[in-house]
This record gives sequence, C-alpha cells and structure tokens, in this order.
Amino acid sequence: MKRNPFPLIVLFLVLGFLYLPIIVLTANSFNLSRFGGTWEGFTLNWYQQLIQDNQVWVAFVNSLLIAAGATLASCVLGTTAALALHKWNTRLQNVHYGLIYTPLVVPEILMGISLLLTFTAIGMDCGLHTIFLAHTTFCVSYVTMTVLSRLQDFDDSLIEAARDLGANAWVSFLKVQLPLLLPGIISGGLLAFTLSIDDFVITFFVAGPGSSTLPLMIYSMIKHSPKLPVINCLSTVMLLLTFVLVLASRAFQNIKQQKTPQRG
Amino acid sequence: MKHILPLVAFTFIVATLTGCGPHKPTLHLYTWSDYIDPKLVSAFEQANNCRVKIDTFDSNETMYAKMLAGSGRYDVIFPSSYQVRLMAQRDMLQPLDKSKLPNVTAHFSPAYARIILNPEMVFNVPYAITFTGIAYRKDKVGAAEISWASFDNPAFKGRSSLLNDFRETIGAALKTLGYSLNTTNSAELQKACDVVLRWKKNIAKFDNEQYKTGIASGEFVLGQGYSGDVAQVMLEDPANIGFAFPEEGFSAACDEMVIPKGATEVALAHAFINFMYDPDNAAKNIQFICAIMPNEHAIAKLPERYRSNPAIIPTLDILSRAEVLRDLGPANALYSKIWDTIKATE
Repeated sequence: MKRNPFPLIVLFLVLGFLYLPIIVLTANSFNLSRFGGTWEGFTLNWYQQLIQDNQVWVAFVNSLLIAAGATLASCVLGTTAALALHKWNTRLQNVHYGLIYTPLVVPEILMGISLLLTFTAIGMDCGLHTIFLAHTTFCVSYVTMTVLSRLQDFDDSLIEAARDLGANAWVSFLKVQLPLLLPGIISGGLLAFTLSIDDFVITFFVAGPGSSTLPLMIYSMIKHSPKLPVINCLSTVMLLLTFVLVLASRAFQNIKQQKTPQRG
Repeated sequence: MKHILPLVAFTFIVATLTGCGPHKPTLHLYTWSDYIDPKLVSAFEQANNCRVKIDTFDSNETMYAKMLAGSGRYDVIFPSSYQVRLMAQRDMLQPLDKSKLPNVTAHFSPAYARIILNPEMVFNVPYAITFTGIAYRKDKVGAAEISWASFDNPAFKGRSSLLNDFRETIGAALKTLGYSLNTTNSAELQKACDVVLRWKKNIAKFDNEQYKTGIASGEFVLGQGYSGDVAQVMLEDPANIGFAFPEEGFSAACDEMVIPKGATEVALAHAFINFMYDPDNAAKNIQFICAIMPNEHAIAKLPERYRSNPAIIPTLDILSRAEVLRDLGPANALYSKIWDTIKATE
C-alpha cells in the first residue's frame, strides 16, 4: 500500500515555517556581516558586544524582575480566583468569571491605554511598579483559566476524605488540594512568565523613565541601532533560556508523575 | 525551604522596586538607540556622583506620545528640530539657563546656525546634524558625476534606490528642479511628482533600511541615504563606498537636546548638556554616532579619518547647499497626496 505523501509535506512545511526563522536568526548572530544579507564569515564579536552592552543588561534585569514578580503574584491571585469560581456557582461568580475572562479578549492596546490613564489619574509615576501591576493584571486571567481547567478534573471527595480523617480546612488545602493542582499552577505560571517577558504593547504605555524592558529596547534598536546583529545574539540567548525553562518544567512534571503513584 | 523561597523572591523584588542602597540623584535620558557613547555616560556619572538611566525611542512620534500621555518624566530628551518646535508650542519644554551652559556658548559653531531650525536656542541645543545625500559605489559608477540626476541615468537601471520617505524623496525632486524643499506651491509639487515618477521607472525600489546592505555588498550602485547611516558603512569600506552631496541641493536635519517640563533633575540636566559640549567629549561622541555636533573646537580634535570624511564633517562650501526640512503642518497633506500617486502608479 502506497502511503499518502501529503501529510508528510505539510509536516515539513509547518516545521520549516516554525523553525527556519529561528535557525536563520541564530546563524546570523554569528555572521561577520553587519547587515545580515550575506554570509561573510564566523564571528563571536557580536556576543562580545552584547556582554559589554550595559544598557541591554539593565533592560534584561528589568524584564526578568517584572516577569518573576508578575508570575508570582498572578499565580497566587489566579489560583485563589479559580478556587472561588470552582467552589461557588452563584450569579455573582458568573460575573466574576466574566470579569476574569475579559482581559483575554480585550485588545492589548485598549488595556495599555486604560491602565496608563488610570495611573496618571491617580497621580502614580510610571516605572517598574506600574509595569508589574499591568502585567499582573493580564497574567491573572491566564493563570485562572489554566488552574480552573485543572480543577474541572479534580475529585472533590478527596478533600472530604481528608476532612474526615481529621485535617482542618487549611491542612487539607495545603497537603491535598495544592499538590494536586501544582502542575496546573506551574503551567499557568510558565504561560504568565512568557507572556510577561515578551509583552510590548501594554508595557510601552505604562513604562516610565528608567524602566525599559527588553522588548521596548529591541524595538527601538531595530530602526536605528548601528549594531543590529547584537539583537540576533540577544534573541538567541533568550531562545536558549526558554528552551532550558521548558525542558526544566517538563522534567519537573515527570518527577511529579513518577512520585504520585508510589504515594497513592 | 518551600516557604522561604517565595519570601526571598518577594523581598528581593520589593527591594529592587523601591531602590535600596545609597541614594544618588538619577538623570533620566530619553534618546535614540545607540545615540550616545557609553564611556561618556560613565564619565558623567563619576564626575557628578549620580546615576544616568537611558530609555530609547524609535521615532519622534513615539516619544511625543509618551510625553503627552504624561508617563515620561525625563530630564533630557533628544527630539528632531521640527518636533522641538511642536513641543515648544505645546508648552512642554523648559527654557534653558544659558549661564549653566558655558561650553555651549564657547564652542557652538555659528556656521551651522543657518541649517538649524531653532537657532535662537531658547529651549534646545543642537546635538547632531545629518544630511540626506547619495551613497554610491566608487568602484562601479565610473567617471559619472553623482547628483540627483543620476537616478535618471540608464547605466544604473535597477541598481539604485530612493528613500521611502515622502518629504525626502519629493524633496530631492524639488531640488533637481531648483525649488525649495519646503514649497507648498502645487504647480512645483506637480512637476516634482513627474520627476519622481520618471525616477521610479529607473530605480529598483524605495527603501529606508536595506539600501545600506545593498551598497555594502555592491548589489546596488546608488542609494539616497542619510549621512549618519552611510558614514558607518563608509568607515568599514572607505575604498569603495562614497557619499555625494548633490550639486542641486539637499536636506539637513538636526536632533537636539531639550529639558521637558516636569523634569526632576533640572540642574543635572544642564550639567549634562554642558558636559556633552565639552570639545573632548563632543569629539568622542561624534566618532561614536558618526554625525556632527556643531561644536567648533570638537571638530578640530577629531582624528583625520573622521575629519576628512565629508559625510560626517561637510565643508562649508557643501553646507551652503543644504536646506533644512521644516514641518509644514497642514500642507503636509499636499506631499502625502502626491506620494500616494507615486506609490500607486506602476
């Protein structure tokens, strides 16, 4: 029987579109030519310039701080919101669900402008803290949705069993419910982290003096910087970081899954 | 351990957000990307016992939006001349205290006053002047004289590019016809439109970025371009790449340093502008950005290969042909209408 070659072609096309740009970008970060059109030889010069570029590192640290802070805050807020939504099915909770859901569909530019208007209205100077608040605002929705979907498969009788066996509400949450929800929280957190670290539109509006994040910096470099390849290097480093992060989270989940049956 | 980790992270974030450590004044700059020599920034930090934080913008419009929205409390910003005018009209700038800028008074070169939009320098001090001319391959143009008319030359068919900027491109055509870059006469503009349409048949494309690549690799022979950009490419291949200031005339543009209203470190901002006008510092910075600051004594301190490169330091004779681009306000619509026609015509 002859196999249909069509799926294979589609597969390669899709893989090509997804990964070819990344390969081109990585290759260009080693290209001697400053303009990237032609291959002129191998160099590590751009990486050296990247290491020496103080401003890039300041922006990088800003991005990491905001992403870590927003992830942490949105994980806590998002999980509690999901628990509340799961536990009570009242009309008020329907409104709550709607409110949480809205940021997922509201255009980013609207959110950016409205946040900026709010901050200026209450006289808050823009800076890292306003970016942190803004990012937490949209990350909460994503974490809530992820945890909520995890809660849908959650067997509530487990908590009842724990309470039966003498655990109080706090202990049953901490020792039973939280560990079971953890993979959901972590994947929600990872989603929040990646969304926060590459957000441009909202950050553009709410950033103030001295709080440039990496995306803001890269955007202003693209048009005017005489050292474009440094951006390629930076993107390559960020890609590597992302891969490490994804692999780490996969490994973490595997460990969890292996452990659970032994305990259970 | 599990409970300590978030606590540590939280403390760390709070500490960073509130800014712990010895409190130094911080000067906030808002400028173009890679537009100031980082060595000068650290020298300024040491000399004034302060910190300098730099944020960057990609266009005057981006910067303007940010300042209007009120989220940009910067001390020194670097807009182009026409934007300075607009901001001054909108009462967004502080008048500069000349007594705190002795270097500017001592070193500003009056030869450049004609091509600066705001030569009274009430709110602004010129930072860098660039010109729009023609980048070309010395090895491929032969003996041909390079001017705007070269874009008609069939020898360069398909191997040249014009800028994708309606003021610059139509401006070049206006200059070819002997008119002002800032004309609002519709008959003159119509003639310029015809010239650009004629050029369009001969050039490869309208382009603002890739022409540098094309010239550097030799794929293109001619390209209308900005002197600051082309000077960077020239320094890498001085034997083969040249920059022509067309006989017919060309445009000049200037980025300036201004202090916006709402700046928190006004004294430090003045000190910074003064610092940048010190001839030694200015000379270092000119080499970094490859564009001239109109500082008479800094120019004398430049190394020969910079001083003899007209794309960076044009002679006074060349300067006399430059015309500054003015913001035309509502008349901009005349240009964009013609530009639409040009873009739509095959």
